[in-house]
Amino acid sequence: MQRLSISWTAFLLLCLTLCSLLTPAVSVKHENFKTCSQSGFCKRNRAYADTAAAQASTWTSPYALQSNSIKFSQGLLTGVVTKQVGDETIRLPLTVSFYENGVARVTIDEEQRQKKDIELRHGSKARKERYNEAEKWAIVGGTTLSSGAATKNGEKKGETRVVYGPAGAFEAVIKHEPFGVEFLREGVVEVVFNGKGMMNVEHWRAKVDKPVVEKKEGETEEEQKARESAVVEGEDEGTWWEESFGGNTDSKPRGPESIALDISFPGYSHVYGLAEHAGPLSLRETRGDSNSEDKTKYSEPYRMYNSDVFEYEMDSPMTLYGSIPFLQAKKRDSTVGVFWLNAAETWVDITKTKSFVKQAVDKVLQNPVSLGVTGSMTTDTHWISESGLLDVFVMLGPTPQDVISTYSELTGYTQLPQMFSIAYHQCRWNYVTDEDVRDVDRKFDKFKIPYDVIWLDIEYTEGKKYFTWDPMTFPDPLGMQEQLDEHERKLVAIIDPHIKNEGNYPIVEELKSKDLAVHNKDDNIYEGWCWPGSSYWIDCFNPKARDWWVGLFKYDRFKGSAKNTWLWNDMNEPSVFNGPETTMPKDNLYAGGWEHRDVHNLNGLTLINATYDALLSRDKEEASAGGVRPFVLTRSFFAGSQRMGAMWTGDNQASWPHLEASVPMILSMGISGFPFAGADVGGFFGNPSKELLTRWYQAGAFYPFFRGHAHIDTRRREPYLAGEPYTGIITQALRLRYSLLPSWYTAFHEAHTTGAPIVRPNYYVHPSDDKGFGMDDQFYVGSTGLLVKPVVKEGQEGQDIYLADKEKYFDYFDFWTYEGPGTVSVAAPLETIPVLMQGGNVFARRERPRRSSGLMRWDPYTLVVVIGNSGDAEGTLYVDDGEGFDYQQGAYIHRKFSFKSSTGTLMSEDLAPEGSATSKKAKDYLRSMEKVRVEKIVIVNAPEAWKGKTEVEVGTEYLASKSGLTRKVGMEWHGREEGKAAWAVVRDPAVAIGKGWKIDFA
Amino acid sequence: MNIASCPASTKEILLARGSSAEWLRQRTLATPDANRTSPADQKHVGVPSLDITRHYASFASQTKAYDELYGWVPSGRVSHDAVLGTDGRILLRSSGLSLKRKLCMWKRLAATTWLDDFPSSNATFKMKRVVSLLCFNYAASVYAAGGEGSRPRGVGPEFAKFYKDAVTFSCITNLSVNIPVGRVNDDYCDCPDGSDEPGTSACAHLSPLSPHTPVDQSHTGHNISLALPGFYCKNKGHTPTYVPFTSVNDGICDYELCCDGSEEWDHVGGVKCEDICQQIGKEFRKLDEARQKSLGDAGRKRKELVAEAGRLRKEVEDRLMTLGTEIEGSELKVKQLEGELAEVERREKGKVVRSAVQKVGKMGALVGLAKQRTQELRETLERVRQERDSSRSRLEELESVLSTFKEEYNPNFNDEGVKRAVRAWEDYAARDKGPEPDAAHDRDLNAITQSDKENGIDWDEYEGEEDSDTDVCKSYSLYAFENYLPASLRGWVDQKLRDLRVTLIDSGILADTGSSSGESKAVADAQQRLNSARNDLDNSRKSLTEHKEGLDKDFGPDDIFRALKGQCISTDSGEYTYEFCFMDKTTQKPKKGGGHTNMGNFVRIERIMVDEDLPPNGKGLGTGERIAMKHENGQHCWNGPNRATTVILGCAEEGEIWKIMEEEKCVYRMEVGTPAVCEALGQAVPKKADGRDEL
Repeated sequence: MQRLSISWTAFLLLCLTLCSLLTPAVSVKHENFKTCSQSGFCKRNRAYADTAAAQASTWTSPYALQSNSIKFSQGLLTGVVTKQVGDETIRLPLTVSFYENGVARVTIDEEQRQKKDIELRHGSKARKERYNEAEKWAIVGGTTLSSGAATKNGEKKGETRVVYGPAGAFEAVIKHEPFGVEFLREGVVEVVFNGKGMMNVEHWRAKVDKPVVEKKEGETEEEQKARESAVVEGEDEGTWWEESFGGNTDSKPRGPESIALDISFPGYSHVYGLAEHAGPLSLRETRGDSNSEDKTKYSEPYRMYNSDVFEYEMDSPMTLYGSIPFLQAKKRDSTVGVFWLNAAETWVDITKTKSFVKQAVDKVLQNPVSLGVTGSMTTDTHWISESGLLDVFVMLGPTPQDVISTYSELTGYTQLPQMFSIAYHQCRWNYVTDEDVRDVDRKFDKFKIPYDVIWLDIEYTEGKKYFTWDPMTFPDPLGMQEQLDEHERKLVAIIDPHIKNEGNYPIVEELKSKDLAVHNKDDNIYEGWCWPGSSYWIDCFNPKARDWWVGLFKYDRFKGSAKNTWLWNDMNEPSVFNGPETTMPKDNLYAGGWEHRDVHNLNGLTLINATYDALLSRDKEEASAGGVRPFVLTRSFFAGSQRMGAMWTGDNQASWPHLEASVPMILSMGISGFPFAGADVGGFFGNPSKELLTRWYQAGAFYPFFRGHAHIDTRRREPYLAGEPYTGIITQALRLRYSLLPSWYTAFHEAHTTGAPIVRPNYYVHPSDDKGFGMDDQFYVGSTGLLVKPVVKEGQEGQDIYLADKEKYFDYFDFWTYEGPGTVSVAAPLETIPVLMQGGNVFARRERPRRSSGLMRWDPYTLVVVIGNSGDAEGTLYVDDGEGFDYQQGAYIHRKFSFKSSTGTLMSEDLAPEGSATSKKAKDYLRSMEKVRVEKIVIVNAPEAWKGKTEVEVGTEYLASKSGLTRKVGMEWHGREEGKAAWAVVRDPAVAIGKGWKIDFA
Repeated sequence: MNIASCPASTKEILLARGSSAEWLRQRTLATPDANRTSPADQKHVGVPSLDITRHYASFASQTKAYDELYGWVPSGRVSHDAVLGTDGRILLRSSGLSLKRKLCMWKRLAATTWLDDFPSSNATFKMKRVVSLLCFNYAASVYAAGGEGSRPRGVGPEFAKFYKDAVTFSCITNLSVNIPVGRVNDDYCDCPDGSDEPGTSACAHLSPLSPHTPVDQSHTGHNISLALPGFYCKNKGHTPTYVPFTSVNDGICDYELCCDGSEEWDHVGGVKCEDICQQIGKEFRKLDEARQKSLGDAGRKRKELVAEAGRLRKEVEDRLMTLGTEIEGSELKVKQLEGELAEVERREKGKVVRSAVQKVGKMGALVGLAKQRTQELRETLERVRQERDSSRSRLEELESVLSTFKEEYNPNFNDEGVKRAVRAWEDYAARDKGPEPDAAHDRDLNAITQSDKENGIDWDEYEGEEDSDTDVCKSYSLYAFENYLPASLRGWVDQKLRDLRVTLIDSGILADTGSSSGESKAVADAQQRLNSARNDLDNSRKSLTEHKEGLDKDFGPDDIFRALKGQCISTDSGEYTYEFCFMDKTTQKPKKGGGHTNMGNFVRIERIMVDEDLPPNGKGLGTGERIAMKHENGQHCWNGPNRATTVILGCAEEGEIWKIMEEEKCVYRMEVGTPAVCEALGQAVPKKADGRDEL
């Protein structure tokens, strides 16, 4: 019997496996995208790394810093690194910059190319230098050289030590031969450059036709392999001069020019970042065997080469639409980061090895199970880029906040978005007529579902000619937008970078006549295919093209656009249907003579940068008023794109795994400095079941960017079509989002000023709790203490939530009390979103349901005070007009609310710096907000001592000077009920949200 | 509110609460929103002037002091002075400010109540009389919008009874929850059913559509719903309506529902919604008149249609009658002809076929020809078969190319050419391909194409042979003795022989060779007559069934669509022209050219509930049960179902397609106006939907 059941089990398993194999799953077309071994420079550098690793003890990196070349002053160290190849010495100028904010930056260039002392093949018109302008696009601040940085005396021979950073806690040890750098914090080595000797700068060389090679035409595989193994000398020339993929040949006029470096994090078990990939937040190792059972390791490196990946797959290091080459390493109580500033195709290998860090070993002995999360691992990374400078920034933390805020200071903080843009967006490819749009707009009102923005995909244009409207289907765009504006709603229209190549289209005529498009390798206009068929691409690296683009959006130019029209830039990887890997040939040329290969990953950024500039002011009135906050959604991005708008995770699918993957993907964006991120709610391709759609809305209500979207071939799925109970549940999720908008907006403001993620993974909030370092399916919303773990599995009715701290957590919807640390189970039937409130926080909401966020502007606030174990609670609120730039002149409200158990008081204090509200705009704004009040204060986990209390005393800041003048307002107290916390509610304290006040509960 | 109703109760409240000053202060602080009440909202409230005199001083000083203290009025910004006019009115004394501005100040100062039509006293500016301030504080927040009755703001007449008690208010559906009347409309939600806030949005979140916490549910458990349908807009000069609470004081003038603008009484963000009911009401009445007229006309048209339908029905019934008679006649005729045929056959059976084959001796030639022909046919068949096989394999190859193409193409690229091709392929693949290649067929083919020898046909055997009569023929020639008889006798003998023969055949002794060797003309003619009569009968019967079915078929109420059957109406929408043919089908024709797309064939009439906005011209479905025509099984949709259309009919003077929507992929909805449905479902006058909130 026993045996039978086992065999039955086996049989069933086999059946299941077969079934899953037979399921016609749509999946990515791998053959369209390169693997490392199909990308010459990646293959060469991986082979180089293998050789270095194989000869570990005898391997010597051929790079040396010439001691006599070293100069140091004012936080800047310069010198020359040489690369010895036989008799040849290649000179590679080095700069190491130490910035005031504690960032160290190592930059290596190539002297011969700096001097333009090279020859290009095929008569190419490309620039001779290595691409050195990525900085121009990505870096906006934080590069003040540190005057405090100093070389350290008494250093060992053959190394230079620089002490820098806050209180001199950081130290860079620059090793001369072989060249390498160790970064120390408080004497502990945290980051090591070239410790494994994998550094590689492929210098320029003339192509020498070796007759021997020519003879090898009919080379056997063994011979091929033999040549491959000769890479030690860098002599695998097979991919030096030309590479073909998918029928397209890259002419490579500059030959091989890759750069690579190994960066190690001793004692660090987790690394995060390298967005965007569909995989876990904590990055996997990439040197696994593809045939191995162990699926926790990829066999391919993480790739960053912005691509339009059709039907992308889950849990994969494959490249996606955008790239942020920023990586953080995490061990207990320490976070460090590196930012690899390079816009060319980049691959990163990750390996982890047991390290011999003493305290970690002790830990392992105590608790072998926790191996791998206790910091007993060392993580090694190997960065490989096709061209450009070797340019790396190092941030030594020690907290995640430190690392992310420093990174954000460098690349720019996320835009403070307009309020509408963090509300709900309704999108579809396509709303087919202006009447269709009006109808959807009316239906939302009819079903009392709030929404702020409706979107138009490509079909609104006349024949995919951007800046036009199809006269048959959109005869009255302005009338349509007027209807939307009646309830302060917006339209977002798509405009892509490809311009249709067709006669009688003024835009393309101008693009051509003014020579503003991307060129091909022969320096003629480049023609490719995209939505409109034959198209040209605007070259936003060209300042003239940017100016032209800005002009196209003027109201009198883009006819049919209105003040409530905003923009969506899609396909900006750029996506070229007939190009290699669905993008442009790498030898295409841009303004300034840069090759596509140099700037590829920046492309998307340059486009939305131009669109952002265009939207700042679209007529004189807006210009004279100082502009309006633009809204642009982008699919492609690079470090720095966060300054201009929002991103979404591209063309996902209506399937549970895609819903599940959206959470780590968005978390990864958050810790990569681009937190304004979301995934298409409902899934782009395919038709979601009603359950999936409902769950997706519940998850989406906690995406920073919250948009429902669907492919043209899918069935309609606006929330009101789902039918009951689904429509009602979805409406609740949407209304929950709207009620919490004040807290979301506060989180955005925090991101805008500190770079902090909007949705925060466990490791970020609890940097000392290694158990949570690998967690990416639950998150906190801003600093509200709201802990969310969306249900992402079919039929699931409960959710296990991990509580990292010794603190009380309360169910958002019924105040059920949980106690951390540990994992707790939360009931999550379809109508429930697992949301907990962490004790110790105060957050704000607006409870009155309105048709759009704009109509909530004058509504009163409810404050929720969640009292935790300490008895205290604290939170902030940021409010401004949600539209313009007046906030920069002090027109905002920024309060801190704190409840102190010792005094039994809740206070509202001003966080705005003193004297910040002196401008007229600030005063006008504050005056307009005078009547906006706090209507309710909910205290969760209210002290038992309040039992029987029916009144509290309210005083305002104006009262402070006149002692004794307070007034009493009602309070209601409810005791604990079967696991649910006691709570109290203060009845209409009628205190102004922008004013100081105090409520005395004692 | 009239003079009698307010003061007494107000004073009682005041007394109950302690000193009036204290109470005033509390109210001012606790509900600053009360101060926002605009003068326009507080009409018809009056109390003796004395009250004002007595309380004003204390109130004014208190208010000013607290305004400054609490910052509701930035200090120094307001310098309002008030003095009492000679007749007890309060005069505003300040210079250089517009009336509006002054009114604003007054609003801030005391949110006083105003009399609309107090005669001007020719003072410096037109005076409004201030009435009881005390009453204001009570009335402004609670009864401010009260018109002739004493209803609080936002309460419709049918709910007035719940707000009568002057001291305590009991929540409408939660009688156990009692609050002081002062908390009605104080912009804080006290009642679990929201009934304490009929005039604000404070309880708008009490809806199953909003997320809730125990704070909202402490009295109700999980069943949260509002007791009131919404904010009541009197819309004087037009029709009163309820506005959803979610729209109250959101800064938007919801004129569609609330033409008097009263739902924006708080003027948040400075919004002012003028009362445009006069204008709207006038327009509405004008439109309504036109609508009524149009409806009248539509009603008449419908009557005509009903009459026409009746006529058509009568026609059918008449035809049925005729058909009945015809069928009876035909049946008789068939019977008669059957008899005739039998007789003719009987007669003919006796006839000896004298010479079945006229010419003998030509068999050999025929065989030769046949052989040759067979050979030709065989060769042709062979060739065709080869061609077939080659085509078949090419087709297979093509199909596999196309199916791979369909698997591997990237639909996201949306290349129309590619999509069209894929679509066509799918249509093709979905079609019935006819029988699969059949092995049996092929075996037959093999057999047929074998040489004749192998098939057992030996042409040689026949080729040389002399033609000879069949046995029967021989026997006839043998018995042809009558040739030797005289003509008269011959006739008699012949007749007898025939009879005998018929008898023999009938009794099975002799084989009936006549029928096998072809019928005589007489038999054929008789047969033909019979067949024709039978055909007529069948047709008549079929026609009868059809007409009967037609008569029983659902043509909607009053049989009305009988009159419209087959009639088509069309409209242009975007790139297409859409057509709807009653009781037939819906189609879509691209304007740019190309074939029609069938969007569904009529299957049945249904009744469905609709809830649509009714445009001012009345061309819309409105709310309620409507007649709908279901069309199914239209052209197959790529990546989707067969097209289907639901045509929903609304009352209109003329047949007209109002709206076409693709509700989901290839499932369309057409809204169509036609006089045929006027009054059919009590849809005499399409009504505007109520503004009921949430429920």
